[in-house]
Amino acid sequence: MFTLIKREIEDHVAFFLGAAIATAILIVLLVSVIFSHDIPVHGIGLLIPGIVVVVIGLPAMGASQMYTDRTRRISAFLSGLPVTRSWILAARIITGILAILTVLLPLTITAGVLRSLLLPPIPIYPGLIVDMSVTAFLMAFACYCLGLQSGWTASRITPTLGALVLTCILVPLILVKGFGPHIKVILILFIIASLTCTWQKFRSAPL
Amino acid sequence: MDENVIEVENLVKYFDGRCVLDGINLKVPRGCIYGLLGRNAAGKTTMIRILFGLEPSTRGWAFLLGTESSSLSRKVKGRIGYVAEGHNLIQNYKVGRLVKLCRDLSLQWNSEFFAHLIEMFHLPMDRRISQLSIGMRAQLNLSLALAIDPELLILDDPTLGMDTVARRQFLELAIDLIQQQDRTILFSSHILSDVERVADRIGILAGGKLVVDCALEELKNRIKKFRLIFPESAPEDLHLTEIINQQIQGREMVITVANWNQQKQAMLDTFKPSNSTEMPMSLEDIFIECTKPTTVTTAPQ
Repeated sequence: MFTLIKREIEDHVAFFLGAAIATAILIVLLVSVIFSHDIPVHGIGLLIPGIVVVVIGLPAMGASQMYTDRTRRISAFLSGLPVTRSWILAARIITGILAILTVLLPLTITAGVLRSLLLPPIPIYPGLIVDMSVTAFLMAFACYCLGLQSGWTASRITPTLGALVLTCILVPLILVKGFGPHIKVILILFIIASLTCTWQKFRSAPL
Repeated sequence: MDENVIEVENLVKYFDGRCVLDGINLKVPRGCIYGLLGRNAAGKTTMIRILFGLEPSTRGWAFLLGTESSSLSRKVKGRIGYVAEGHNLIQNYKVGRLVKLCRDLSLQWNSEFFAHLIEMFHLPMDRRISQLSIGMRAQLNLSLALAIDPELLILDDPTLGMDTVARRQFLELAIDLIQQQDRTILFSSHILSDVERVADRIGILAGGKLVVDCALEELKNRIKKFRLIFPESAPEDLHLTEIINQQIQGREMVITVANWNQQKQAMLDTFKPSNSTEMPMSLEDIFIECTKPTTVTTAPQ
């Protein structure tokens, strides 16, 4: 499994570099937001690169993993080795999770450190950062799963547009539902449905 | 199940409503070199892909090493070497990287033997797969499949693109491999002289069916081709069954018959041909006779 994950990371290293750069930008913005006097204006500045990463970067990574597999017949080759399709897909998903964590973990740690260093002007809910991070992770993972699903489809335009529209609907859910348990349940159900669909397609497709 | 390394039961495959495999039954015993033959689009690759779980079947079952093909575990796959048609290696990888990937994923790896193969085929480890010739890709694919010391080797047109020397090396390798205890090889090829050299059992796919499945020697004994000269014009019907091909030109008749036996010989003798000559048939001749549509043609005198 480790070999398969390593192969996925090496083949999609551009996405990890992109994730690292986006994380650095987001941390700089986060710090500047905290230290600025005009939090709402700077907060929007923080939101835009975050949304770009989630809406474009992660679905693109999932789609790229599946699309390059199809075009370069990677799974067809790997299936000739002692590797099952479940392992190939699991390694791919774990790589996606690692890419999401590359962005989220440093951000969460930075936010935690900043919170402990600087007392907020008004008291906030102690589990807010964890809640926000978990919801952001689920949102990012749901968008990544959409990318995986659309990348394995033979026709390119319709599923890609469909995935983009769905991603655009998913992301504003945070604005409607906040970071509470409702959105978490919705996102978990969405992820399960999307992964099941991808798994079914990947498992039954001729390689 | 243990005696037969490969078992296929009533295998049916449809592509877009077209029947490619129509109720195939096949058993390949342990230690056998099985040559699978057929014309282009006869279904050889489809059958091999179904066997290896790369393609779902429409109906029927296929078993490799006692396990259903669609659910081959890692352990079972680790005992099988597979060379796909067209050698679909990961094109943008360098040879060294691909070898490392295969070695890391394999359950066992014979480094010494692999190094010997790489040296024998003069394969460059620092070149990208896409920069290799088709022949070199074939050699690399074969080397990767052999490096795991497979119990069963499945080769889909493995010598495609290889030059004569490389092909001869491959055949010698296959013979070496089979001499090791309990090794089994299933391979399809268009080069019938290669198949004739190494295979001890032959299957011929035609029209979606396995029309021949027997030992090579048995096949040669079963299918006979005669040139018959009759005192007057040749009779149009010899009342023989299983005629594969029959051509009549005046007094001369050339006939190919399957399952030749004494009864058929006796039936032929009743027509009192003035001359009867058995024409020797190579595997290629037999293959051509078996795969072309059954014909009975009468040419003008």
